[in-house]
Amino acid sequence: MRPIDLFDDYLNGELSANDAAEFEARLNSDPTFANAFEQHKTLVDTLNRNEKRNAFKNKLKAIHASAFGNDAKIISIKTEEGFVKRYGKTVLVAASTAAIVVLSTVAAISPGVKQTINDFTELSFKVSASNNAVVEGIKEGARQKPLPAPANMEGSAFALNNKGYIITSSHMVKGADSVFVQNGSLERTLTEVILIDPKLDIAILKITNADITKKWEVPFTFHQKPTDIGETVYTLGYPRKDMVYGEGSLSSLSGYSNDTTMYQISIPVNPGNSGGPLLNDQGNVIGVIRGKITGAEATGFAIKSNEILKSISSITVDSIRTELLSQPKKQALKGLKRTEQIKRINPYVFNVLVYKKDI
Amino acid sequence: MSKNKVQYTEDQFIDGLRTGDNEILNALYKKYYNIVLKFIVNNSGSQEAAQDIYQETIIVLYENVQKPGFELNCQLQTYIYSIAKRLWLKQLKKNSKTFLFKDDDENEVVDVTEDVTAHETKEAELEKMNQSLAELGEPCATLIKDFYIQKLSMDEIAEKFGYTNADNAKNQKYKCLQRLKKSFFELLPVEQIERK
Repeated sequence: MRPIDLFDDYLNGELSANDAAEFEARLNSDPTFANAFEQHKTLVDTLNRNEKRNAFKNKLKAIHASAFGNDAKIISIKTEEGFVKRYGKTVLVAASTAAIVVLSTVAAISPGVKQTINDFTELSFKVSASNNAVVEGIKEGARQKPLPAPANMEGSAFALNNKGYIITSSHMVKGADSVFVQNGSLERTLTEVILIDPKLDIAILKITNADITKKWEVPFTFHQKPTDIGETVYTLGYPRKDMVYGEGSLSSLSGYSNDTTMYQISIPVNPGNSGGPLLNDQGNVIGVIRGKITGAEATGFAIKSNEILKSISSITVDSIRTELLSQPKKQALKGLKRTEQIKRINPYVFNVLVYKKDI
Repeated sequence: MSKNKVQYTEDQFIDGLRTGDNEILNALYKKYYNIVLKFIVNNSGSQEAAQDIYQETIIVLYENVQKPGFELNCQLQTYIYSIAKRLWLKQLKKNSKTFLFKDDDENEVVDVTEDVTAHETKEAELEKMNQSLAELGEPCATLIKDFYIQKLSMDEIAEKFGYTNADNAKNQKYKCLQRLKKSFFELLPVEQIERK
């Protein structure tokens, strides 16, 4: 009998009692034989461990795919030095690629909604060539310095808290190479994309230069609870180069296609409004503008503030979660006249400029 | 967003990992991914690299909890982070990339040299087995796995591979294993050792 066959028979318990005893005796008396047997056992054992390991690896891959998905794109924001040198003014170069936490990998919109998605317009502003021409034309006379390259997409955003975090729509920053914010009091400033929740369609950016944000006193806070129908609401945003105010009321507690993560509002919203704040009378943030029904002029949708807080609360990285949930202590806008409120809010609402390599 | 998440304690995670509880493995995997992802992308890594390093980290943890008397002397998160960090640093060094290392101040680190070294020895061995099996080719690789892992009988193997009888199948298996052994140990086949 060949040694290998003997080894296998012994290991599988197929030797008779006599043969097994003889086998064991030989192991004790014949070191070469014992050695060969050990080697055989090692080989068979490694085979089995290898199989288990490969199965475990596949299991982890499957868990990863189902938990974080293959479609969960992490946007890698790489600093393009050349770009900054050419166009940046006070822009800051982020030291490395951005840390991004993907909150959810669920498809952006549930299957039922997908079928009718054509009716739903996300309000980011794709900058077309003709548009630029108009903008450039208007500014022609006043321009002294060369203008930065036009962004591929524009929209609105606003400060989340005093720590330099800014909230906007995820559909806008998707696939971005760089994301800048600017407004009347802040020159173009580079941000890092910190977090994307494609399901709620929110993204959180951070201004990495602490010098810019150290004096921030964000005057509004995120409303923790859902708001009632009929409440007067308003929004501020950048459908064009200057901030635009819009007012209306909260018309439904569910949004497009009965999505309960959104409110319906009776404010005419336009491309560029996406990512802007929805505020109530007291100046609390009750939502983030998301979109409108295509063609319907006075119907908008906003993601509920409590849903956003819930989403942020589910981040498992403690340090990031705590930072993001930190809210200004006082509600500085309560009791103020609307015009006064807006004056205070103004510096914390931004025009977002998104640059993409491929559109 | 996953709602109604069951919260497990660290002991439950470790026990569940030990016993191969899929639900717990799932929860554990989700819970600590972001911390590793953040670390890797902050230190010259891609999302893919983060996924690879994280999965290897979980394997190291998995190997360790199987050890009799395994006890965790720090928080699970600290342990996972420390392993991931060590694995990633090694890889960066191996690729001799220059990199900017941004240590996360908030994350504690423990010494995992021993665990990672033990893992690497094992991993190298298993990698060699994967290679040997690949070199072995078909039908040998499947035949060997059927016999030694699936524990199919020679009759079943003869039937499956179309050999005329169990003895023929056994001869095939013998030849295949000789080749595997040779390539795995890079040694002379055991046949040269004296026969009974």
